[in-house]
Amino acid sequence: MARIVGGFVAPHNPVMYFNPKGATEEQSKLCYDAYAQTARRIAELEADAAIVIGCDHYILFGTECLPPYVISTGEIDGPVDQLPGLKRRPLKSHAALGSHIAKVGTETGFDWTVGRALSVDHSVAVPHHLMVEPAGGDLPIVAVMLACGVEPYLPMKRAWDLGEHIAAAVASFPSDERIVVIGSGGISHHVGDERMGEVNPDFDRKVLDIVTRGDKAAMLALTDEEILRDGGNGAMEIRTYACAMAATRAAGGRLIAYEPVPGWVTGMGFAELEVAA
Amino acid sequence: MSRNTLEKVLYDLSASGANKKKFADDPEAFLRRYQLDDRERALVREYRVRELADLGVNTMLTWGFWLQAGRSNRDYMKIMKREEA
Repeated sequence: MARIVGGFVAPHNPVMYFNPKGATEEQSKLCYDAYAQTARRIAELEADAAIVIGCDHYILFGTECLPPYVISTGEIDGPVDQLPGLKRRPLKSHAALGSHIAKVGTETGFDWTVGRALSVDHSVAVPHHLMVEPAGGDLPIVAVMLACGVEPYLPMKRAWDLGEHIAAAVASFPSDERIVVIGSGGISHHVGDERMGEVNPDFDRKVLDIVTRGDKAAMLALTDEEILRDGGNGAMEIRTYACAMAATRAAGGRLIAYEPVPGWVTGMGFAELEVAA
Repeated sequence: MSRNTLEKVLYDLSASGANKKKFADDPEAFLRRYQLDDRERALVREYRVRELADLGVNTMLTWGFWLQAGRSNRDYMKIMKREEA
């Protein structure tokens, strides 16, 4: 059976693309080196595929239909919100694995909204571009989108449960493939409000500490009110971290890099997740 | 007041180039498609993003709405901070 062999949390910051000079050279190098390190680790883990857990930004889904969680079961393309150096294009999809997870979900209490030809935004396309693609091997992905940017937000506990479900479903996928999961999101950042540009290193370090200790209780204790107050509306994306932590059975991990980058309006944190035996 | 419909308008403008063009050509005609009152139509037509946000409209949409019109991020932040743009 397939198995999850590694995990990561990392930002998907589009400002890196449209305002690269917003960060100092040192900040930029630190962040791009961190992405490169994750790519090397994906290669060292001999991954066959990646599950990229992203989130909508009121780009993919409108008021007509706001799904709590979505999975790709067929083709993938993106990003819909094209960026300088990252144009919309087909992304290699692991449709069979996505379909399997969705099917297991319907049997175990997770009624996925499925994307049979899913367009993704930068939250999937950036980690694909900077982490999966440079790992080599033309790895296919499964794209997961969580409701992090638009009310009603996916509850943190539900994001966690979804991660555990993903792990169980991967373990029953009939292949010997090695899978990595990526929780894609920025830590503190404010998108479009009057605090845009504020970064909160204390909150960022608290979140990264929780992630690298694999502390489920502390992760689930983060309320939306606290996240919005201390991290901003963009920090609601750490639901993707919870999902990735749960998918790796919350075994802790190691910090790869952290840098508060106000010029990129985000606390940029990178960590590798261990996988429980 | 309908935050939902205001968000629908801004989403539709962000997601479709055709909608952007219709709005640019004739804002009133474009906005008549939506269940908005006179005040709400004025907020959109006049890019009053601070007031839209105060009504609960998601700021990912207000920011995108402002930028898609070619307006500056600096002016957006001044307005959101209640400074004069």
